[in-house]
Amino acid sequence: MDFKAIYDHLRAVDAPGLIEADEPRLPDKETKDKGRSGMPFVRIEPASFVDFLLVCRDDPKLTFELLVDLTASDPAADDENLWVLVQLLSVKHKHRLAVKAYLPKSSASIPSATAVYRAAQWHERECGEMYGITFVGHPDPRNILLPDDWVGYPMRKDYEFPKEYHGVSCE
Amino acid sequence: MALLEEAFEENVLTTKVDWLLNWARLNSIWPMTFGLACCAIEMMAVGAAHHDIDRFGAGAFRATPRQADLMIVAGTVNFKMGERVKRLYDQMSSPKYVIAMGACATGGGPYYKYGYTVMKGVDRIIPVDVYIAGCPPRPEALLEGLMKLQDKIRRTPVIRKPAFTA
Repeated sequence: MDFKAIYDHLRAVDAPGLIEADEPRLPDKETKDKGRSGMPFVRIEPASFVDFLLVCRDDPKLTFELLVDLTASDPAADDENLWVLVQLLSVKHKHRLAVKAYLPKSSASIPSATAVYRAAQWHERECGEMYGITFVGHPDPRNILLPDDWVGYPMRKDYEFPKEYHGVSCE
Repeated sequence: MALLEEAFEENVLTTKVDWLLNWARLNSIWPMTFGLACCAIEMMAVGAAHHDIDRFGAGAFRATPRQADLMIVAGTVNFKMGERVKRLYDQMSSPKYVIAMGACATGGGPYYKYGYTVMKGVDRIIPVDVYIAGCPPRPEALLEGLMKLQDKIRRTPVIRKPAFTA
């Protein structure tokens, strides 16, 4: 199925938390729309993250068996949201889907996808330490790259570099 | 020397203790098996047949710091790794030497400005004897660095205190 058919099917089965489809578009001078490149994605409510993924995995017409990627993004310093982005792949039907959820920076929290895709464990740990996102229900939410006592979330746009770490200067 | 040379039987050599100990040391600098990033690939090339670090007696890469004389810091050191590097250095027995190989180990390299967890040079935690420039350095450069270290050992007095400290 192409993206349009997948989206229509998600609407037809009333997938929980589905908000809208966002497709790449050309810039429009009259409405001052800057346009968007990239691939189409569906936007969902963060609270229904796990239920939505369950539908994607278990629906016989979708069967997304594979979580290709789970990552996050901080779009801009003045933006109030962080993004959590998920790439799904169905080996059986040979189609893909990109899923996106907006989390407010002040309380970035989302249910953990590990209950549906166990492959999400390390991805969520990395998102957690780099962006400060809490994945509720993660079985092992330790840091994976940074030291355990690291202060701050390096991939956030407003991150301030440390002056020293354990007595070693960073300048 | 000339007075002593006729004084013993054949097959007896006379020399200075400093010279003998330094000769033994500088021709058996055993490095530790220890690579952190892309510089380690060049270090492996130095160990292989084409460049052959064994010509200098430094080809016995030891898998434990207790048996090693030389730590070649080949790659990017971040803060989390830096504490392990320091512990490994502390576990090596004296005399011990450190080569900072490449731009990262020397001063942070390409991560100097925006590498939030990269240590800006391994000399902030352990003393470095020889710095090698390059990103990564050619295998010949590592051999040159090893020869510089041998020169340094050759100049070191072993059984008497140095007349001056630089």
